[in-house]
Amino acid sequence: MTPHSAHADAPSPMLASFGRIYSALLYAYPRDFRLQYGAAMQQLFRDRCRDLARSGPLAKLAFALQLAADWLVTSVREQAAACWTAGHKQTTRGFVTEWAVTLGIYLFVTTTLVQAYVIPTGSMEGTLRVGDHMLVDRVTYAQPGPLGARLLPYRELAHGDIVAFLYPEDTRMTYVKRLIGLPGDRIRMENRQVIRNGHPLLEPYTQHIALFPDAYRDDFPLAPEAETTPRGREMFEHHVLHGELTVPPGMLFVLGDNRENSLDSRYWGFVPRSYVVGKPLFVYWSYDAPTGDLKEWTFGHVVDVATHFFTKTRWDRTFLVPRSQAARELPAAGAAR
Amino acid sequence: MTKPPPPRELPPLTPPVFHILLALASEERHGYGIMQDVARQTAGTLQLGPGTLYGCLKRMLAAGFVEESDERPDPALDDERRRYYRMTALGQRAVRAEARRLHGAVVAAKTRLAGGIS
Repeated sequence: MTPHSAHADAPSPMLASFGRIYSALLYAYPRDFRLQYGAAMQQLFRDRCRDLARSGPLAKLAFALQLAADWLVTSVREQAAACWTAGHKQTTRGFVTEWAVTLGIYLFVTTTLVQAYVIPTGSMEGTLRVGDHMLVDRVTYAQPGPLGARLLPYRELAHGDIVAFLYPEDTRMTYVKRLIGLPGDRIRMENRQVIRNGHPLLEPYTQHIALFPDAYRDDFPLAPEAETTPRGREMFEHHVLHGELTVPPGMLFVLGDNRENSLDSRYWGFVPRSYVVGKPLFVYWSYDAPTGDLKEWTFGHVVDVATHFFTKTRWDRTFLVPRSQAARELPAAGAAR
Repeated sequence: MTKPPPPRELPPLTPPVFHILLALASEERHGYGIMQDVARQTAGTLQLGPGTLYGCLKRMLAAGFVEESDERPDPALDDERRRYYRMTALGQRAVRAEARRLHGAVVAAKTRLAGGIS
């Protein structure tokens, strides 16, 4: 291949990095196809990038989406065609290698960029309901390396973000809660009212439906009680001063929107920043089922879905997007520290 | 590689194959040129991706509809060498047959749809 000519308008860094990703994605095609057409396909890619250099971000996004769809469909098609035509000519080993590479690339995309998740409990009720099946975007809240930071749309976590994370007491489980405290924040609650750094929060997203008061839950942080886990006790021991909790570096304090029916940081302590999985993107399917069925697919649940798919699906929740919502900080009360 | 199949009824063509043949009807072109011409023919509605374009070209080469011309740079773009493609006689017959089929479909639609097709 001839080296790229010194063109007046060199590709932007973003397009150059897309070009590198694209050349890696070409490995999803069968070897023969790649050897014969790979260079020409990359050339076509560069030509399209040159066309797009001066167009807006929307056109670039459309190009990226079109390219992704083209890659997804044609790589499978060429793999299938290669198996079909080669038939007995192709060795088993070659066959296995080709498909393993393709599968590996698909798995990379589906496990690195998005993850499916279902809401098993009502702790976010009001915002998210039991049985909401959602896709979680794993990129936005990831902690980027030096290269990734410029390549993908990262964002720092902020107050009011809805966050999916590994449950610190059992990392096999993923929880979704609202982010209330970032490192350095001082948190306390007074009769269900969250007071952050001395400012009472006006939280439009919360739901208060409990009938009876519970001092531990409503006036956090008091002394630990039976429901407090060892991690929770540790939090009380080291991070509570003068009736206020201070969030340590690298940790997050999260609460459920269904404030009185939520087991959250009040009970089991902080979420390490590294446990954050991602940002809930949208609900793709909301199905009315009990908590037990949602944690694991049982035979009974399969039958239930098969027979009640149309009646128990909450159609109005399809494609619902849960939004980050910052609470308004009211002026500090007179007794603010 | 370009051995034409025995003369028999030509199979219907998929839209990408049909438009690629149309793009090569008047002159030989390289991949990017084909892609641009197909976008022009269809007023931008059919943007061929690299995988679609070269997948189709591979099958069209095997079917004997097109053949590879030489490899040379396009003076209008840059000095990269590009592979050019040209349509064969069989490809010409196939694209005419497909055009006739489509014409028949349009005529049928015009007679059956009240108020024409516009």
